[in-house]
Amino acid sequence: MIFRRIVLSALLVGALSGLLLSAIEFWRVIPIIHAAERFEDALAARMADAARGTKQEHGAADHVHAEGTAPPGGENGHSASEWQPAEGAERIGYTLLANFLTATGFALLTLVAMVAALKRNPAATLDWRYGLLWGAAGYAIFFVAPALGLPPEIPGAADSPLGARQAWWWFSVACTAAGLAGAVFGKSPWRWAALGFLALPYLAGAPQLPASPFAAHLPADAAELAVLSRRFVWETAFANALYWLALGSASSWAVRRFLGEAIQREVRE
Amino acid sequence: MQSQVSIAATPRTASISVGLQLAAALVLGLVILYGEGFLSSPIVHNAAHDTRHSQGFPCH
Repeated sequence: MIFRRIVLSALLVGALSGLLLSAIEFWRVIPIIHAAERFEDALAARMADAARGTKQEHGAADHVHAEGTAPPGGENGHSASEWQPAEGAERIGYTLLANFLTATGFALLTLVAMVAALKRNPAATLDWRYGLLWGAAGYAIFFVAPALGLPPEIPGAADSPLGARQAWWWFSVACTAAGLAGAVFGKSPWRWAALGFLALPYLAGAPQLPASPFAAHLPADAAELAVLSRRFVWETAFANALYWLALGSASSWAVRRFLGEAIQREVRE
Repeated sequence: MQSQVSIAATPRTASISVGLQLAAALVLGLVILYGEGFLSSPIVHNAAHDTRHSQGFPCH
């Protein structure tokens, strides 16, 4: 059964590429997140101080219990009442798990697309170039296209409403996937026109914030955060490129190793 | 008296078309990605926080 083979292959591909991504992230990307969180915490503390000051001016007697309570938003800008992983091993563990799951999800989509393409063209050679091309397509669809409108952000950056950004993320992914698939797999001589889809998300425009994302921070902090955020964009671009090339290569290997015969058998039936 | 029970031994799995199986795998992948990158539950958000930031999913 192809479904079972795809799921098992995706778990294997997800484990391999998720581990690679985690290694690059812990080396190049997550140190930037930690650095940005120090500014985010400083901002939260200053806001809490300011809030306490205002309350005392307007009659401290009413707000005795406000002294010493956590600021709204809490540490790292997250709700302090909600569970969050403890710093160190626990946080690392959850990041490893989340990377593995995301990679498995992406591997499922990649394997499905590869098998569907192979059904149309059983003569395709599943060599390393084939895998790298699929990896490059995945990188373009799921990282580059959304990042051109909504660059990956460090913690502490203010932004437009989350729902609108998430919707635009899916929109850019869908347009890029449709454009690439139409141009590569279309049969009509006009198939290249499908590449027009690639421009659609930017014509519609990603949700943007009118002010600087670091306007609430002290000017010196805002300058450092701007440097960190530029570094973050390039480091994530590098990490995700290696990750997707690995995911594509591993997927084409998995199709060759675990799915090739099953596809031929089921297509013949 | 012997009662005869005929068991239809045709495996059901064989009758599920390849297209349907691919669609099921696709949906499974999308559900995993949605949970990992987009679910707004604070607990899921905090657990997947560094992954969401690093892979460019909209976060916060």
